[in-house]
Amino acid sequence: MVALNHYLVLSAILFAIGTAGVFVRRNLITILLSIEIMLNAVNLTFVAFGRALGSADGQIIVFFVMTVAAAEAAVGLAIVITLFRHKESLNPDSFTLLKW
Amino acid sequence: MSPLLIAQIGLTLFVFVMLLSSAAVMVYVERKVAALLQQRLGPYLVGPKGLLQPLADVIKLMFKEELRPRAADALLFALAPIISATCAFAAFAVVPFGASTTFFGLLKIPLRLQVADVNVAILVIFAIASMSVYGIVLAGWSSNSKYSLLGGLRSSAQMISYELSYGLALAAVLLVSNSLSVTEIVNSQAGSWWHVIPRWSVFLQPVGFLIYMTAGIAETNRAPFDFPEAEQELVAGYHTEYSSMSFAMFFLAEYINMVTVSAVATDLFLGGWHGPFLPESLGWIWFLVKVGALLFFYVWMRWTLPRYRYDQLMRFGWKVLLPLSVVNLLVTAAGVLYFGL
Amino acid sequence: MTGSPMLFYLFAAVAVGASLLVIAQRNPVYSVLLLIGSFGALSGLYVLLDAPFVAVIQIIVYAGAIMVLFLFVVMLLNAPHEDTDYDSHVHPLLRPGPMRFGAALALAFGVELVWALTRAGQSGAFAGGAVSSVAQIGHALFTDYAFPFEVTSILILVAMMGAVVLARRD
Repeated sequence: MVALNHYLVLSAILFAIGTAGVFVRRNLITILLSIEIMLNAVNLTFVAFGRALGSADGQIIVFFVMTVAAAEAAVGLAIVITLFRHKESLNPDSFTLLKW
Repeated sequence: MSPLLIAQIGLTLFVFVMLLSSAAVMVYVERKVAALLQQRLGPYLVGPKGLLQPLADVIKLMFKEELRPRAADALLFALAPIISATCAFAAFAVVPFGASTTFFGLLKIPLRLQVADVNVAILVIFAIASMSVYGIVLAGWSSNSKYSLLGGLRSSAQMISYELSYGLALAAVLLVSNSLSVTEIVNSQAGSWWHVIPRWSVFLQPVGFLIYMTAGIAETNRAPFDFPEAEQELVAGYHTEYSSMSFAMFFLAEYINMVTVSAVATDLFLGGWHGPFLPESLGWIWFLVKVGALLFFYVWMRWTLPRYRYDQLMRFGWKVLLPLSVVNLLVTAAGVLYFGL
Repeated sequence: MTGSPMLFYLFAAVAVGASLLVIAQRNPVYSVLLLIGSFGALSGLYVLLDAPFVAVIQIIVYAGAIMVLFLFVVMLLNAPHEDTDYDSHVHPLLRPGPMRFGAALALAFGVELVWALTRAGQSGAFAGGAVSSVAQIGHALFTDYAFPFEVTSILILVAMMGAVVLARRD
């Protein structure tokens, strides 16, 4: 029998993977992808809790999270493109100057 | 196994085979119609009136050598045509093509002529359509050739741009028929107004229908929006480096996507299997007639209109089609609110 | 449908495996594709949770739009590999220094979360009533959540303008 806890544990694992990705990787695009993993882990929690409580609120919050994720991806990728034009690099360590 | 399950499996296989053969028929029709429009004869050597030409094409493609550029990404290069073909087949799964039938009393419970009945069917069609872009983009990227890459890039930009209008046109139909299930949408279009005009959504949504067809042509990468392959500019676009059966799979996917877009248009706008003269159990004949007419329109468009320029395509998508579909949606919403349809 | 353990473990394994490979992959194109696989598995989990609407918009929005955008940018920049000093010979997950510390931190975080959750006891068997109809969600969205919904449109407008301004060549 799969209970709420199973979903929460899965979500925690996914969130940890996303966190690890942000810490470990040195590629702006992979870092953005890791953030998407974290957002999805949170979404899973919301839907699971919504199912457990029998309310629609969990799914609605997921809807909002997805909107934010879409906005974040659009702006984030625009920033990545701009940075890449300046330095020909996607490594966040190469953007250490405040002004260039 | 219950008879219903057997019938369901049989129906699934039947749809699969019919989609395959529809692609073959479309190859023949495309060449014949092209010949008609260009005052030629078209294929006439293989079989009576050239009817076996698609078979000859398939045999030829099967015996060709499977080539792969040395610098290509082997895994993705092999995966791309599979994604294309799978998405094309999968999208048809939720499209109903006839009223429920008991097969002349063979079954106790009537079987719906549809592979899977999902209550969010329209969204599923939309989701699978949005996945089919990956086949083309990956083919373009993994080939490691500049023409393929340009084709893939164009394709992703084009699909994202036209998907919005496509979705908004679908949303307007949902407002009119008040359901997300395709079967219910079709059934809401039964009957007629004043015994003359059939109660089809196309008469409530003329603009929506035009937007849907335009965006559908762009989504299936057909002329005049066939930029991902634009042969005069990009050799063959995303499938430049493909040969043999993997090329055939892209070909297959293109034709099946056409059939799916036409079938969805028939279900949503043209009343599906409802029509005069025939009883509902023979409604699939109407369905086939309507899909056939739309497919002919597709082919007709391709051999009549020249290709747009790429910037014209983008301008049209974002500055004409998208505002138009937003206005259409707003007007529809206001109409539904006011008249209480 | 919440009680089918086979499907749950299958989807969970795919989601975790694909996500792990996303951060272990050197080539961003593969990362993006694996993430799409992970989203597909999550979509399956949403179906198991009786949330077909979320499952479908997960595919439409995440896999069909956001990931296409990522793939587009990866292809456009055509800079597949990480350019650090030890890119060629050390796997990205095994690099020395602060990154190894970060990985340890993330691991500790994950272990802590899982530990806390399993300590919480065997609560939360799913109740009967599931909200799976799109109509109910839509109703709640346009009544109780009408204001946040409207704010969302402004958020998207701002994001759109920001993206255009940032990516414009001047």
